[in-house]
Amino acid sequence: MVELRAEPEGRGWRHYGSRAVVYALLALITVVMLYPFYYMGINSVRSLDQYYAGHGFSLASWRNLFHTLPIGRQLLNSTIITLSAIAIILAVSTTGGYAFAVLRYRASRLVFVAIVAAMMVPIQSIIAPEFVNLAHWGFINHRYGAILVYAALGAPFATFLMTVYFQRIPVDVVEAALIDGLGYGRIFFRIMLPLAVPAMATIAVLQFIFVWDDLLVGLLFLQNPDVRPITVGLATIPSQHLLDIPLLMAGSLISALPAVIVYLLFQRYLMSGLTMGISK
Amino acid sequence: MHCPRAARDPSTAAETLKSDGRRPSPQEAASCGWTGRGGLPRDPLAVRRRRAGIVFTLPVVTLVGILLLYPIAQTVYHSFTVWDGITSHWVGTATYSQLFAKPEFVQVLENNALLVLSIPVAIAFPLGVAFLIQSKLRGWRFFRSVFFLPTAVSWVVIAYVGIRFFADDGILQHLLNGVGLGFWHPNMLSNERSALIAVMITFVWSMFGTNLIIFLAGMATVDQELYDAARVDGAGSFTVLTKITIPLLRRFIQFAFIVTLIAAFTALFSLIFVMTSGGPGYGTTTLEFFIYEQAFQTGDFGLASTAGVILFLAVAAVGLMQLRFFKGED
Repeated sequence: MVELRAEPEGRGWRHYGSRAVVYALLALITVVMLYPFYYMGINSVRSLDQYYAGHGFSLASWRNLFHTLPIGRQLLNSTIITLSAIAIILAVSTTGGYAFAVLRYRASRLVFVAIVAAMMVPIQSIIAPEFVNLAHWGFINHRYGAILVYAALGAPFATFLMTVYFQRIPVDVVEAALIDGLGYGRIFFRIMLPLAVPAMATIAVLQFIFVWDDLLVGLLFLQNPDVRPITVGLATIPSQHLLDIPLLMAGSLISALPAVIVYLLFQRYLMSGLTMGISK
Repeated sequence: MHCPRAARDPSTAAETLKSDGRRPSPQEAASCGWTGRGGLPRDPLAVRRRRAGIVFTLPVVTLVGILLLYPIAQTVYHSFTVWDGITSHWVGTATYSQLFAKPEFVQVLENNALLVLSIPVAIAFPLGVAFLIQSKLRGWRFFRSVFFLPTAVSWVVIAYVGIRFFADDGILQHLLNGVGLGFWHPNMLSNERSALIAVMITFVWSMFGTNLIIFLAGMATVDQELYDAARVDGAGSFTVLTKITIPLLRRFIQFAFIVTLIAAFTALFSLIFVMTSGGPGYGTTTLEFFIYEQAFQTGDFGLASTAGVILFLAVAAVGLMQLRFFKGED
């Protein structure tokens, strides 16, 4: 069925004129947001001389980059650290959220408040004792040290999110399963976990970007270049390379790319994670 | 108190009670985890549930307890000590007065206060743009994706491009040359105050998408009929924005404020590390960067802990405001 709608009066050229102004403004902001990526791209495919000249193309800077930093190894470190931290965060937040929402016990409310309160602990505030503790346990310069710190940093918010999520699942679901003879462990694995997949996706995407992009934890707890993630490797590039702009831009581009790809593929999970807790 | 094994094993509870010859008092029963009436387990399920509950919370409690809660307690303790990471001795509250007596620390607090001034800007821009693209503007998803993109990019990368933007021979200078202002060389990273402004501009740029998403989510909750009614009554865009949109979005604006403030205080380490190293002088040293410097460049872990407590208190105060949003409106 075709519905014909007359334009209200006064929506003539003035209406389309204001639309054009809006689009022009949005186009301007688009340029401001995307220019850095263009700048990285165009300058990474120039040699240093071509960069100063402002024209020409060459892959020399990319070749240089692979000689300057152990790129492959550091990308692998980033991947291992990020995915392991996400796995731990998902494991502890789903089990914890299930317990806080469904298996409430005496003092579970108090424990929940303590976990949520840990959200307010910035890593910078605890960086000195954390470093001393990890050094004491021999966790410095091992990927698992950084993985555990990232997991701890991500766990409180993830647990909060999972608790809220499981609370929304009707009690009848659990009761019906109990009547069917399922134990609490099976209820978790067979019923709760499958229902929680969207929330887990949100947590995974948020944490992927946070851990992949972070500098401080890797900088302090992973001091050996062979175990460092790419973001840390790029930030601590030897100072004699700091004036080699094309090299830096190539490094920036390759270190940013995985997180950008994850963003482009899963952005709706990221956006829902951001507004979760405020919009109902 | 001694708890008979039966307390934890409902299947044998009744027998143990008989052989024991007495019923435990309610207090005893409660401390043994017997929550049922008369000291008997309410039902086997309740005991199983409780046990499963403890097992399922154990991983997150262990992880967060050892790596976040224990260290923050250590930070609070060591904030009153002189500590080099190996030996520490108790000084008391004098460490705080020493910290505040340092002129560079006063400048650090001033830098944080100046960062707060960038927040209204970081909110106003995306609020205005969200207002423009709310009304199902064709292609708004595309714009939203583009504007949110910086959120996915590391501060390290943003900082390297930022240096190229603000440097004396950088992009900004080229723009100035292009519009005939080439005689003016702001060279922003070379001066304490302008370097901080450069950090603030970069911050506002990267927060744009985040706050835009928050406001778009907020505008989706506003009843479209309100707008239509206002239009029928002859209200202009500006009136609609100030009289309808902003009041209805109050909650979202507060939320954006808190998110932006916490980011300003705790998320700029990498940007500052790469772009300015806290300089020139202490020009761009914020509280979080100061803590890092004290601990790992000066080796003063005690002072770093003292400053760490200040940062924690600031974030916790803002975080408590945030709890209101998690609990819902009012």
